[in-house]
Amino acid sequence: MMAAVFATMLLAFVFDLAGLRRLAVSSLLLSLALCIGLFLWEVYSPDYGFRMPWLQL
Amino acid sequence: MSESTSSPVAAVLNRLILLAMLAVLAAILTAAMVMQYALGEIPCPLCLLQRVAMFGCAFGLIEQLRAGNSERGGGIALIFSVLLLVISVRQTLLDIYPRPGHDYIGSAVFGLHLPVWSVIIAVALLLGLAVRLALFGSAQNATIAGRTPPRGIVQPLAIYVAAICAINFFSVIAQCGLGQCHTFGYWLLQ
Repeated sequence: MMAAVFATMLLAFVFDLAGLRRLAVSSLLLSLALCIGLFLWEVYSPDYGFRMPWLQL
Repeated sequence: MSESTSSPVAAVLNRLILLAMLAVLAAILTAAMVMQYALGEIPCPLCLLQRVAMFGCAFGLIEQLRAGNSERGGGIALIFSVLLLVISVRQTLLDIYPRPGHDYIGSAVFGLHLPVWSVIIAVALLLGLAVRLALFGSAQNATIAGRTPPRGIVQPLAIYVAAICAINFFSVIAQCGLGQCHTFGYWLLQ
């Protein structure tokens, strides 16, 4: 999954350097979506969910 | 306001701010890679996602430096700056209270660990983009900006950022393969 995030980001740069702006922005948005999905998956805990009970506010 | 933003001096200053932000981002990403390869500090998954957010921000800044009559690049940079802030704050909150198995990954730089530096970088990026908009407005001066120096620096910087993005991609393949990332070694070397 992390490889896909970096692959789409790299594609965005390559498309941008090649002058293919729409493809570059599309690839960047795909990378953003994958990044958000992976972030939520990484911080989710089966025990706590998205909460952080060790912090008391 | 529109009179001041359409002056050539304002256009040059506007571009210099963008260029400075891009150069600093490239330097930070390079420093992170030096810490990884020279000091052997393997990045955690959230650290890698923070790099992605910085690359996205750099992409937006490059787009904005090339922009004609658009603020799209600035918007992209803002989105990824907010993403960087969210990820780095979450990681800081995960590690800020010492618990078994939850320590800051990597060494401290000037007394601050890297996720905390990421918070500072994200806030600085947001401030920089906000100040640029406050001082120079939108893309009304873009026609002047397109002709102002330093034109020749943008393309080499864009190629450099793309190159370090490529190195990071191959590094992620070496560290994580196509699966989950870990910090105890490189997947390819096991």
